[in-house]
Amino acid sequence: MTKRFGTTTVLHEASFDIEPGVTGLLGPNGAGKTTLMSMMLGLHRADSGHLEVLGLDPLRSGPEVRARIGYAPEHHLLPPDLPAVDYVRHLAEIHGLPPAEAASRASDALWWVALGEERFRALGTLSTGQRQRVKLAAALAPGPSLLLLDEPTDGLDPSQRDSMLDLIRRVGRDVGIDVIVSSHLLDEVERTCDRVVVLDGGKVVASGALADLRGNERGLRLTVDGDATALADALVHRGLAVTVERGRLDVSSTSLDTDDLHRLVRDELAISGVGVRELRPMVRSLSDIVLGRPA
Amino acid sequence: MSTTEILERGYRRYDGPRLGVWAAMRSVIRFTVQRCLGIHRPARTKVFPILVIVLAYVPTAVYVGVVVLGNRLQKGGVVPGRAMAQQFVPTYAALYLSVTLAIVVFAAFVAPEVLCPDRRTGMLGLYLASPLDRWTYLAAKAMAVLMITCAVTVGPGVILLIGYSTQGVGPHGFAAWAATFGRIVGAGLGVAMLDTAVALAISSITSRKAAASATFIALFVGVSGLLGLLVLQGQASNRWGLLNLSTLPYELVFRVFGEPSGIVLNAETEVPASLIYAACLAWVSASIAVVAWRYRRMDVTK
Repeated sequence: MTKRFGTTTVLHEASFDIEPGVTGLLGPNGAGKTTLMSMMLGLHRADSGHLEVLGLDPLRSGPEVRARIGYAPEHHLLPPDLPAVDYVRHLAEIHGLPPAEAASRASDALWWVALGEERFRALGTLSTGQRQRVKLAAALAPGPSLLLLDEPTDGLDPSQRDSMLDLIRRVGRDVGIDVIVSSHLLDEVERTCDRVVVLDGGKVVASGALADLRGNERGLRLTVDGDATALADALVHRGLAVTVERGRLDVSSTSLDTDDLHRLVRDELAISGVGVRELRPMVRSLSDIVLGRPA
Repeated sequence: MSTTEILERGYRRYDGPRLGVWAAMRSVIRFTVQRCLGIHRPARTKVFPILVIVLAYVPTAVYVGVVVLGNRLQKGGVVPGRAMAQQFVPTYAALYLSVTLAIVVFAAFVAPEVLCPDRRTGMLGLYLASPLDRWTYLAAKAMAVLMITCAVTVGPGVILLIGYSTQGVGPHGFAAWAATFGRIVGAGLGVAMLDTAVALAISSITSRKAAASATFIALFVGVSGLLGLLVLQGQASNRWGLLNLSTLPYELVFRVFGEPSGIVLNAETEVPASLIYAACLAWVSASIAVVAWRYRRMDVTK
């Protein structure tokens, strides 16, 4: 899809699929994340290209699509004098839930985000972290198939942020609702999401499962007790690429599969008699992927 | 003693029916009406609507009281109480002049309360992320304002009709009664639609409630007062009064009841009823156009 606002191109030939699970929409401010979410809700029309959400075109089937989406926007001030439960119930009702069901689910959703005791408090009296959780509860209460969370940790302190990320993980993994969460913070997406779409300047620079993008089967990282240089020479002699830094070796191979690589390293360790303090797969972090760095 | 403790209530998926756009609109109407009347809100927010409603109904209560008193005096045979009472009480159309202030104040404060905060806080984005779209959202909001405004444009007239009828000074016969009732509802609805549309148009231009209310009152008192003055002084044709929002609604009411208004547009031959109706329709249409223009391309997700 391409989307322009006047002379500004917000999305440029962005093309991707989002599979079930928790997907991070990652990019700096102005990358087009919010615009993309708006388009998923059928609020903006693409200048070119096509978008399908939950198997439907959000422009043609807007009410049907939006009834099944829970949305928590980034910049949103909650009505200060309204009790949290009334706010959540109202949003559940406008998503098509019968009033009795909406009332019951509003309470349940607030309990679920750990605001059960505070559900009758006016929104203006809640802390920033609590208000963000109210927004999550309001998005959850209608029983959506898909949750769109736009920068849900915005303005939160580290502890509130951890708590919110934990809730989002639970929504995706325990409750089984598909989630798309936008963020400009790499570690947030890395900690929460199974998949990622990385946007930069309106272009998709990477997309897919985090495990695939990381390439976590590429090699091994060893921390050893003993002669690391001799071990490295032996591994190189067996055709592996090795870098050594003090007692740490990064071992990789483009020709061997994971099992063969593990067996070969095990054998050389046994032959050399070097002790192993740590052995783990070499993993590219999301920042490596975004910046195009190797592991 | 049981030591059982509920650690988490869990989350239930919802696979039941969804009620669609009409139900969403009903919810918005109910929620908006409750907000405007201060229901489920702190006590301070209830003061204004209660005051205005009291202001709208007090004249009616006084007029009905006068009729009741006249009837009692008549029964005592001391004075011709009924005839005396009828000197003081207004016709159904003239009642609207007594509740003008309540209607204008209500419209001036209700419409901004309904539209402005949604844009300022971003609630509009949440509404449009539901099955509602811009037009169904606006229709629901307009319905809510209309319903609330009808409480002060239709309600007092209906109470007056019931009061007069119970005291034997109402319309004679069911047909006449039904016709009067119809006129009260029609006229009240007309005034409410006119005021609602204009107030919503102004509220769509600014996200500041106070600015919208002030603009609405300025339009009624300032511009309309100036126009009224020009017409009264004979410096402008009576037809300029069609732009006068403070008198046009009451011209509409008097024409609906077929009574001479005695106010600015009193030259019935110069300004026929059809022109009054057309002017009201034009005001409503222009206001709807302004609201539609403002909301058509509004970015709601930032």
